[in-house]
Amino acid sequence: MTAPLLTASGLAWDAGGRTILGPLDLEVRAGESLVLVGPNGAGKTTLLRLLTGLLQPRSGELAWQGQPYTDLSRRELARRIAYVPQIRPSRVPLTVEEVVLLGRYPHLSAFKWAPRPEDFAAVDEAIRRVGVEDLRRRRVDELSGGERQAVYIAAALAQEAELLVLDEPTIHLDARHQSDLAGLLLRLAGESGRTVVLATHDLNLASLLGDRLLALEAGRILASGRPAEILRPDVLERLFRARFEIVRDGERPVTMLRLDPAAQASEKVGTT
Amino acid sequence: MTARPRLTLLLLTLFAVAALLGAPLAGSHDISLSDVLRGEPTAAAIFWQLRLPRVLLALLAGAGLAVSGLGFQTLFRNELAEPYTLGVASGAALGAVLALRLEESAALIGLPVVALASFAGSLGATALVVGLALRRRDSATSTLLLAGIAVSLSCSAIILFLQYLSDSTQTFRMVRWMMGGLSVVGYGEVLWVLPWVLGGAVLMLVLRWDLNLLLLGEELAASRGVDLGRLRLKVLLATSLMIGALVAVAGPIGFVGLMVPHILRRWVGHDHLYLAPACVLGGGAFLVLCDLAARTIMAPAELPVGVLTALLGGPFFLWLLIWRSRG
Repeated sequence: MTAPLLTASGLAWDAGGRTILGPLDLEVRAGESLVLVGPNGAGKTTLLRLLTGLLQPRSGELAWQGQPYTDLSRRELARRIAYVPQIRPSRVPLTVEEVVLLGRYPHLSAFKWAPRPEDFAAVDEAIRRVGVEDLRRRRVDELSGGERQAVYIAAALAQEAELLVLDEPTIHLDARHQSDLAGLLLRLAGESGRTVVLATHDLNLASLLGDRLLALEAGRILASGRPAEILRPDVLERLFRARFEIVRDGERPVTMLRLDPAAQASEKVGTT
Repeated sequence: MTARPRLTLLLLTLFAVAALLGAPLAGSHDISLSDVLRGEPTAAAIFWQLRLPRVLLALLAGAGLAVSGLGFQTLFRNELAEPYTLGVASGAALGAVLALRLEESAALIGLPVVALASFAGSLGATALVVGLALRRRDSATSTLLLAGIAVSLSCSAIILFLQYLSDSTQTFRMVRWMMGGLSVVGYGEVLWVLPWVLGGAVLMLVLRWDLNLLLLGEELAASRGVDLGRLRLKVLLATSLMIGALVAVAGPIGFVGLMVPHILRRWVGHDHLYLAPACVLGGGAFLVLCDLAARTIMAPAELPVGVLTALLGGPFFLWLLIWRSRG
């Protein structure tokens, strides 16, 4: 087993006196793909923002290869961890190329007039791997949701960090873009040496992508394990308070939500 | 329209140089460049002693106003933010008016006291407005502008009160000064303003990557390694000091910081590497032309340049509001 890349111990966060997350312990191992699943409000985004260092934990510690986050500057952290937050459509007046180049920020020097050749090389490489070469000079806010998501992933790749953290990358995407993006994420996660932490509502994406799934409920870890260990009707029912069926069994099971209005009306399901 | 940053910068440089050389020749009494170069005494005196310092001050003031507008707009990701709409200029004006009033009674020395008071006013107003906006954890147009309006109105009310308490000569001085003008200047004022404006512009250039990243949103910027707290502090401090320094010598001159960055973005694009110098050149040249118009339209009488920029800026602001609500 490889040494943990990232260690969280006793990690907790609260807002206005209400505990949002934790306390929980967590390890992310080098090279693995860890997928967070859980209902709305379970604390997935909060956990991701803590892991990326965007939020300061109220208690507990985070360490990168044994080094506490508090010893690392924002820039140093950004050279290790790249984050793709949920992208909301907004006016971003920059081109694809410019956005991806900004991914190089933690490697750039304010006092150098222009980015170095290796910065441009990293940008080209990131754009190629994500497959948005044709869009290079288009404005980001003119792209479709799926294309835009891909561009932000390219920017994160250009950051050349060991850990890639993504929050709901397939949300708001139609079926075709979801499938394209899943393909891209699978390719990236499959690359040797890349560590991915991702939160998603899409259980089938989680199944395909995750080496390990973390089921988060009300800020606590309900269960953690291989997809086949988590994507089981009993675990999912406890997690989501909804009924699931296993459509295809195996190491990477395919699940389906069972919509049974008559049965659910009598039981009153899911009040979060 | 595609942005042509390098070409635009070149044209703006030519434009600024032309304005700098041409504007001192025109006025209530036109002089010719050849007379100035030959050293003809009257022409030389008018050019070197009266008009050049004024034109230089206009250039620096325009540059400073445009750069600080750009800083506020990027920081808050809000095209309507500028020293005037955020109440920063009013804060500086209040400080300066207070100093003008005390100066009479206490017979204190001129510029330093007014300048210090106007620094204090601009920093105080910035802290208040930004504090209010950040407390709400959003920099939504409404919160920011409402806070700016509240601060502006309060400052204006106190200024009116001070004028009411003053005698008529003092009141006239204050009112005249509040209109914003570049009329009575020498090289002292120019040298006083230079470091603040230059410092602010250079800072924008140094922080260009941070500012560009902010265009993608604060969360993404932070995740790429931008220290948001320190970035805000640097930009706000630099812009407030610029405005404080400018208001102390020229009074509040509104809307330059709104119009110039907005127009230049269309020609130069959004990269602060080009946008910051473009604002220096474009803002400077723009205010030189406004000042030229202000002193020639009604010659020999002079229109305060602040009145002219407000006449242009008010409708522009309205147009922006309407255009934004459609987009």
